[in-house]
Amino acid sequence: MIEIIAASRCPRCDMVVAPPATYCPHHPVAMTPTDLSGVGEIVTFTTLHTPPVGFKSPLHIAIVELDGGGRFVCHGADTRGLKIGATVAIEAIDDVYYFSHLGALERARLFWRRTGRAGDRVNAIARSLAKRVWKGRQRAAS
Amino acid sequence: MTRIGRRSEPLPGLMAEAARAALAEAGLERPEAIVVATMNPEEFTGDGNFASHVATHMGFADVPALRIETATSSGAAAFYMGVAQIAAGLRRTVLVVGGEKMTHLPTPRVSEIIGRSIDPYERTYGATMPALAGLVTRVLMTEQGVSARELAQVAVKNHANGARNPFAHFQQAVTLEEVLDSRMVADPLRLMHCCPISDGAAAVVLSAEPAPVRVAGIGHGADTLAVRHRRDLTSFTATRTAAREAYALAGFGPERVDVAEVHDAFAPFELISLEDLGLLPVGKAGRATLDGDTALDGRLPVNPSGGLKARGHPLAATGVAQIVECVWQLTGRATNRQVAGARCALAHSIGGLATNNWVTLLERA
Repeated sequence: MIEIIAASRCPRCDMVVAPPATYCPHHPVAMTPTDLSGVGEIVTFTTLHTPPVGFKSPLHIAIVELDGGGRFVCHGADTRGLKIGATVAIEAIDDVYYFSHLGALERARLFWRRTGRAGDRVNAIARSLAKRVWKGRQRAAS
Repeated sequence: MTRIGRRSEPLPGLMAEAARAALAEAGLERPEAIVVATMNPEEFTGDGNFASHVATHMGFADVPALRIETATSSGAAAFYMGVAQIAAGLRRTVLVVGGEKMTHLPTPRVSEIIGRSIDPYERTYGATMPALAGLVTRVLMTEQGVSARELAQVAVKNHANGARNPFAHFQQAVTLEEVLDSRMVADPLRLMHCCPISDGAAAVVLSAEPAPVRVAGIGHGADTLAVRHRRDLTSFTATRTAAREAYALAGFGPERVDVAEVHDAFAPFELISLEDLGLLPVGKAGRATLDGDTALDGRLPVNPSGGLKARGHPLAATGVAQIVECVWQLTGRATNRQVAGARCALAHSIGGLATNNWVTLLERA
């Protein structure tokens, strides 16, 4: 199940903010409500060993760049094997968002839902695979 | 300034001690105005209306005093306010005094109070200053290839400098291994990458008359409160803006800087900031630190005072303490940590997670 995450978009600079904000951080204009799919790429993550009162140690925190823009802060159950750039799903448990590795079935469902016609679906999957290969190469090169 | 560390005196007493020293050095009995910097006096000490509180405690009840707060850069902000008052011709002399008293409270409580300067939504996810710094450090190490040894060397260097500073909170050296083996705080950030919780105060007198040191330039930059709204986590926009403003006002660039006091609340911040300030090329700060370029005897000594890491970080005192160190360096009074022949010094202060930053350029007159 892929969550829908409420966000807002700046009509002037197109910046997407999640959760939604009244005004754009960079422009004094009202933002337009928008929805984002709870899937994205890990921007960065940390494990806090002395979390503040009310949180259990170790506390896994990540920033995830959601599909369609907007960066989201969430918790995770584990960060073992996690890498920057990894695709993750975001799920809400009691109004708190958690990231988790995106399984093959969910990945397939996601592509199915993202694209309209059958031809587009194949294209989308091909594009996604090409993107992954390209990224892998870039990482290997750097 | 006062000795930084665990101090038993109440905050107004510490601030008065720092102010008396600065006024004596300036040969001034009574300033025309006072600018006070404290970050969270209401929470830390229970006292409000703090500018009047401090001024009255010093015996300056009838000197107009105001308080400035921009989180951890409050000291630099107060200095900016003082410079603005002089530059506008409103005052001939201004006493700037910053201070904080924190060590009497338990560490989790102190962290929670400091953490209130973080975006409220990110706080609901347990984000603290070390957590956000951990997120930044991860990107810095992964995407800019900063190594664990480079990161650790920042702390090693600053402790070595602090060992030469009688005002520092920590006056002993640490080894690379001690830093690398220290407890993990916010993976990959370790305890020895982080500044301590300190008490202390620092003060400086600004004058419209010629003085041994002049303010060549000062700049202020800002960024989003929420760290998740930033596109690039390996650079702080607020520092870049502040540096641009300061250099423009001074009419010279980073090449003229002989010594710098940089906001190293977390070791990675010193590396990021050196690049943002244009003092080192992007991607080179880690290597340069490991090579000793930023050591006391290096090409560009950084944090001769020991920085926030070793001198200590009494929040609102820090921005002023950096200025005091720069003045001492420029006037040859930095004793056995003196950078020989320093003519131009740079002070850099970060407020919150780089939401409100300052760059000040000082020159020997």
